Amino acid sequence: MRLSGAEGDSKWWDAHGYRSLPDIGFVDELTKEFIAESQEGLDRMERCLTELEMRPDDSGLLGEIFRAVHTIKGTTGFLGFDRLEKLAHAGEHLLGSLRDGKLEVTSDLISGLLRLMDGLRGILVLIEETGSEGTRAGDEDGELIAELAMLNGHELSEIEAPQIALVETTKVEGGVTAAASSGSSPALQPTVVSEKASADKTLRIDVDVLNRMMNLVGELVLTRNQMLQSGMEAANFPELARRLDSVTADLRETVMQARMQPVGNLFGKFPRMVRDLARTCGREVRVEFSGQETGLDKSLLEAIKDPLTHAVRNAVDHGIESPADRVLAGKSAEGCLRLKAFHQSGSVVIEIEDDGAGIPIERVLQKAIERNLVTAEDAAGMSEREALQLIFLPGFSTAAAVTTVSGRGVGMDVVRANVEKVGGSVEVESRRGMGTTLRLRVPLTLAIVPSLVVKSGGQAFALPQSTLVELVDIPQREFAQVVQRIGSSELYRLRERLLPMVWLDRLLGLEADSPEQSKGHYLAVLEAEGCRYGLVVDDLMSPEEIVVKPLSPVLREIGLFSGATVLGNGTLALILDIGATAARAGVKPIEEEVGEIGTGEAGVHEASGISFLIFEDRLRERTALPLDVVERIESVPLGQIEYAGGRPLLQYRGELLPLRDEGNVLGEMDAAHQAGDEAMVTVLICGDASVGGAQRGGMVVRQVLDVSTGTLLDRDEATQGMELALVKEKLTQVHREFGVKAKAAWQEVA
Amino acid sequence: MKIAGREHVDEIQEEDDAVSLCSLYAGNEMFGIDTRKIREVLGERDLQRVPMSPAFIAGVVPYRGEVLTTVNLRALLGLEAYAGKCCVLVMADDEAAERFGLVVDAVGGVVTVSRRVLENNPCTLEARAKWLFDGAYKMDAGLMVQLDPKKLSPSRLSEVGLFKNSSNGGLDASPDR
Repeated sequence: MRLSGAEGDSKWWDAHGYRSLPDIGFVDELTKEFIAESQEGLDRMERCLTELEMRPDDSGLLGEIFRAVHTIKGTTGFLGFDRLEKLAHAGEHLLGSLRDGKLEVTSDLISGLLRLMDGLRGILVLIEETGSEGTRAGDEDGELIAELAMLNGHELSEIEAPQIALVETTKVEGGVTAAASSGSSPALQPTVVSEKASADKTLRIDVDVLNRMMNLVGELVLTRNQMLQSGMEAANFPELARRLDSVTADLRETVMQARMQPVGNLFGKFPRMVRDLARTCGREVRVEFSGQETGLDKSLLEAIKDPLTHAVRNAVDHGIESPADRVLAGKSAEGCLRLKAFHQSGSVVIEIEDDGAGIPIERVLQKAIERNLVTAEDAAGMSEREALQLIFLPGFSTAAAVTTVSGRGVGMDVVRANVEKVGGSVEVESRRGMGTTLRLRVPLTLAIVPSLVVKSGGQAFALPQSTLVELVDIPQREFAQVVQRIGSSELYRLRERLLPMVWLDRLLGLEADSPEQSKGHYLAVLEAEGCRYGLVVDDLMSPEEIVVKPLSPVLREIGLFSGATVLGNGTLALILDIGATAARAGVKPIEEEVGEIGTGEAGVHEASGISFLIFEDRLRERTALPLDVVERIESVPLGQIEYAGGRPLLQYRGELLPLRDEGNVLGEMDAAHQAGDEAMVTVLICGDASVGGAQRGGMVVRQVLDVSTGTLLDRDEATQGMELALVKEKLTQVHREFGVKAKAAWQEVA
Repeated sequence: MKIAGREHVDEIQEEDDAVSLCSLYAGNEMFGIDTRKIREVLGERDLQRVPMSPAFIAGVVPYRGEVLTTVNLRALLGLEAYAGKCCVLVMADDEAAERFGLVVDAVGGVVTVSRRVLENNPCTLEARAKWLFDGAYKMDAGLMVQLDPKKLSPSRLSEVGLFKNSSNGGLDASPDR
């Protein structure tokens, strides 16, 4: 919001020019502080104003707005900014009447107050850039003050008299200064712009955080000194290394914490924007937020600002219907826009959800054909989900008419590009008549990325963990069996799905290891931009948290690497851009999905939505657990399992897990162990994510069979109260405790 | 003493003309780059190759918390890759230009020469060399070819297109294997 205020101002300067005072560029500390505080006050005021429109009787809100304006007025008088004081005074007067109940909250009144806020902001920006509030040539404040007085109704005459005088004097003054400064003002423009940019680069940090950082840096220096003095061979070297490790980790965490900003900062500007938009488009929209406190790295927050703004505009303009249409459709006239932010598996998800008409699939297809984005035949064969992906293609817009708000053909492709640039992803979900949900998924931070380092053709490459689905080890002797060919392309059959294989060394033109020497290959199953493929690499190195360094433009042009990093051993590794690699190798998202449907499994997958881990506990019986309750599969030496009160227990990562042993595997293994075998027990570590792992436990199984999707059977006579499921056409018992919960969740989805 | 004093006077007279150059070697030739344009000589380093990059890119090397792109002088001259370990020089970054490294066979030392012994490029020089070379100093030991770091920056080189015809492998790795 601050930015758009500044834009408005710069246009204004172009037209009129403003007076350049001798103390230009000089902003003392006190004024700086005042500006920062006032900006924050105005941000608060903005939020409150839009809320006030919805809850006109909330005196707390009104009080807050009043305080913001009052503080500005009070401080300006003291700092000697007359113009700001006059405007703030006019606003305070109006707010005073409002607070005393002399006025009603109307839409016009809110608009007036918003304009007052813009006016105050404009002057603040001017002070920040020039050190003085300037005196504008065709004093706009006069109009604004008059308008505020008008809104104040009965006190009009009182205020107007001095008001006219003010307008007159400033006009005379402005005329002189405009002539005097006409030469200097264009030259001033660029410096003003750059200063504005630098103001946005500052960040407020809690002093505690800063102190902690300083302490940690001190400790870092001490550790370094000790290391230098003791040398590599010293006995305490491992201990020093450990300390260095912990100090580094702490320091990193603290720096990250300092960079974290609540998403609410970004959300804050939306109520106002939505309000203005809704007015222009003739919609009635209510905005709801949740998860404003979710932290996100400042640079990421900046990066998703535009995509998010765009998405909100889209939702208001295209998503939510006009009130008349909504009533016809049996919905309340007022549309609802929900902005949600939350953490999910190491990334931050921001959802923009509207309860509008949803995305009309047939119009999307029609438009895509019109613009030659797909052929008519392709379009006819597309599923709804595939068709929805079309909105992300460049040059796509379904707006019937080009409005001022949206529909210029730059749209979702830019949103997607921007979000993917920072390592995030965009998903869209739409239900006809029910609304659309756009989901932006962004990593917590840009600087440090957990990744897997792999080796191919003798070189190290880093694969971001976020794109890594699973790893498959293909031993050399099995290679010929598991790799299948269609024409010249090689496919790997992974749980009855054909996965295109991409050889990293061939793709990059590296010299491959000769097949005789090679022990085999690893297949990294990757997923990015809707493409899923297996990347064949020679060797896996370590998972590492890497610090991303940018590449020079020439190397960026290659398009396959998103950066480089220095590994733990001091060498450099290139970070592979998974999406671009897929594109280079010719893996296409839609084609692959068509392939999936061809195998007939994707349909089942979507219908049931449950993946099971299938294992054997009792002899000859197949038992399954929903995959999402299984955290890990561990192989535990039999000796580590302890007993208390006849129940088996396992000490696992500082936790005591009760073990369930339905198939009496432990008993049998104990017998075998006494015979002298070294035995390992397979234990499934189960936890329920929805209850925060409170119900964690282990499950002793004979062997793990497979992971597959399946359908739960309805409970009837034949099942005798057991939870049964059909997995790959075979009867499988779903484990009771966890199974019931899963079924409930599943029924909700259905 | 007397002679030394006279020499000193000569130097001062010629100060405007004097240029200090860092000598470096690639193949059989000696090159010189103005020392003011060199930020640091890194010495022998292991380079990380970048697949699919233009042939004149030698690779990347870590440098002060950054990833430095290096240009291979041998590749620019159309020579075979050097068998031994290469030397990396870091070029000074002017305001706008990017920082980059130059990979050469070896770095000699700093020589001070008079600008008057600089001869322009001969007109018979082929197009690539004409772009790379910036005249030659007539030294006692032979010619020292002057290089202009501005023209050697990776982005300039890829813009020019003179050196684009080959790449560090991988161009044939099209999807229709």
